[in-house]
Amino acid sequence: MANLNTRARKTNTYDAIVVGSGIAGGWAAKELTEKGLKTLVLERGPMVRHLEDYPTATMNPWETKYPGGKLPAAEMKAHYPVQARTGYTMTEYTQHFFVKDDEHPYTETQRFDWIRGYHVGGRSLLWARQTYRHSPMDFEANAREGVGVDWPIRYRDLAPWYDYVERFIGVSGQAEGLAHLPDGQFQPPMEMNCVEKDLKARVEANIPDRRITIGRAAHLTAPTEEQLAQGRGKCQNRNLCIRGCPFGAYFSSNSSTLPAVERTGNLTLRPGSIVTSLILDEKKGKATGVRVLDEASGQEIEFYADVVFLCASTLNTAWIMLNSTSTRFPNGFGNDSDQVGRNVMDHHLGVGAQAEAPGYEDKYYSGRRPNGIYVPRFRNLGDKASARTDYLRGFGYQGGAGRPGWERTLNVPGFGADRKAALSQPGPWMVRLGGFGEILPYADNRMTLNTALKDKHGLPTLTFNVSLRENEIAMRKDMRLAAMEMLDAAGFKNVVGADQGYGPGLGIHEMGTARMGRDPKTSVLNAHNQVHACKNVYITDGAAMTSASCVNPSLTYMALTARAVDHAVSSRRRGEL
Amino acid sequence: MSNYPSRRQALFGATLTFAAIWTTLSLPSAATAQTTLSWSPKVLTQAQAQVLEVAVELIMPATDTPGAREAGVARFIDRAMGNFYDPGQVKTMRDGLDRMQTDAQAAYGTSFTALDERRQIELLTRYDAEATRLPLTHFFALIRQATTVGFFTSETGATRTLRYDPFPGEYRGCVPLKEIGRAWAT
Repeated sequence: MANLNTRARKTNTYDAIVVGSGIAGGWAAKELTEKGLKTLVLERGPMVRHLEDYPTATMNPWETKYPGGKLPAAEMKAHYPVQARTGYTMTEYTQHFFVKDDEHPYTETQRFDWIRGYHVGGRSLLWARQTYRHSPMDFEANAREGVGVDWPIRYRDLAPWYDYVERFIGVSGQAEGLAHLPDGQFQPPMEMNCVEKDLKARVEANIPDRRITIGRAAHLTAPTEEQLAQGRGKCQNRNLCIRGCPFGAYFSSNSSTLPAVERTGNLTLRPGSIVTSLILDEKKGKATGVRVLDEASGQEIEFYADVVFLCASTLNTAWIMLNSTSTRFPNGFGNDSDQVGRNVMDHHLGVGAQAEAPGYEDKYYSGRRPNGIYVPRFRNLGDKASARTDYLRGFGYQGGAGRPGWERTLNVPGFGADRKAALSQPGPWMVRLGGFGEILPYADNRMTLNTALKDKHGLPTLTFNVSLRENEIAMRKDMRLAAMEMLDAAGFKNVVGADQGYGPGLGIHEMGTARMGRDPKTSVLNAHNQVHACKNVYITDGAAMTSASCVNPSLTYMALTARAVDHAVSSRRRGEL
Repeated sequence: MSNYPSRRQALFGATLTFAAIWTTLSLPSAATAQTTLSWSPKVLTQAQAQVLEVAVELIMPATDTPGAREAGVARFIDRAMGNFYDPGQVKTMRDGLDRMQTDAQAAYGTSFTALDERRQIELLTRYDAEATRLPLTHFFALIRQATTVGFFTSETGATRTLRYDPFPGEYRGCVPLKEIGRAWAT
């Protein structure tokens, strides 16, 4: 028996374990295996192989089962009441990449939109691919303003890792020379259309503090030798990215990091593996591995390694920690500070303005650019002119101009040849600016473990109590008004500002549940993303974020991950883990 | 494209004028030519399906490009009644198709499908006016919406009445509309 156990232990032992195969887990796996560590990647969902497992990637509109690829209302209500809240993610083309809410329950003390996909690649397959660096200002703001805790790192610590990640993933964008939106290693920018160029020219002329640039997006516009060798190709402007890209033109774990990892021969990828807790050796004060619920057999299996990377996504990473109790950690793994599960952040959105742009009726475009325009933050930049008295931090806008197609016409009255002819033409040029605002870390914006409600595996679930506060609510007013001001300044007509409401989570940028900090009393992770109280556990997904910035966060998770792996591998080599 | 502005006015005005609809009469149409179906309805009765077959072609007729009949829109709607629309919507549409027959009998003493196109259009014009007051619940609004989706997502609708390019390659942000001619299907 003892012999059997020893053998099982040996079989299940690796140099490193990575929990999760999304944007952070894929990077952890790539860096660990390329540095020679035998690495086990545990993914709770099923396998999604690049190309092979994108069943809808080249489907034509006439090949759908349902009208327009929409899902029947009864099916949405039964299985996707939360996933449907975005209004755009749940369709016949995408439903296999999102969870069924009825199979993955949670509790909303206040509305919380948990939009997720459980499969190899996670949401790296589904993300909007907008890719921005946090700025020096973002890393300093908490300390300067006395909000939350100070980041234990500064921009200069992460800058080389941003470079490193950008070169690998491929980011198209325009350098702008702005201190508050640092430039990166860019492939050629995508093109603005005529109305966007007009908007840019008129806004920049009339409101000097505003800048409009093309979105910085993780799409290849001029693939490097390295990317071509990986089988990735140039963006074909189909804008069907969320179905999986047959050209590997946008960055995902599936198209990029995981294939790179497989070539090392050091990877074991294990789908269907739900990590339920970390295993702690109380004497050594180290994690020895993780416990897995094997989805197929229902059996519990233990896996062991010198180092564990938790990259299970912000909320599930914190779930694993809270579910890992021991004599040493009665309130959850590494949770001496009681900060695990607190400070839930996102980007608040759903507020901005739109307008009609006359004068371009004879102009159109060809191709479907999977990207929009970006207005970098222009409030509270540290100078007097941009300072607000009504709120801290700021927001950026994402948007664009286009001509709506036939979908606008469903309720157009009449019938017959003239109606048909009218509907066969593009609609008027419409311009839209939608804000993405920073949410501050609040200790009582919190997720907790709910042992009263179990999921289908008998595991505890989560309860969310997260809301916007005065700072965000004041910011939203400005987000609406400043967008209207810009569209007015451009001379567009029928300018309409709107706040369509927002539920925390709807930005799908959850962050902050195991924050980095300088003091173990008030934070969970140190400057290298190690759990303060257990140095061989690293957390590098959104849970690590000390503040949210207003820019899309995935690039920062990737850079933190690459940097943390570098630290882990050299520490391990020195025998420090 | 010289008549584009007037099309746009028609589109964004409250309703199309009666005269605009009337012009369809001068166009050759297959709407009344055929009453036997080339497909077997799964939800609709044979009679309802025949009325629908005529109605979709009147809503989205063959012009310089094929219409809803060639696009298979009636069959598309019958299938969606089986797997997509909720029972209340299906009942509204089926009752509406029955009513079209009843109205035709009452007004002209013959079935809807046997009417000449001018009479069919008179009836549809009445339903259109009713649907304007009940845009979400009237049978004609539902059938028109289903016809519009079915037509523009059909292969012929997407590729001939609209333009469809599954693999554009490049993005060109400012192209004369003339060069493209029609709205993109996707």
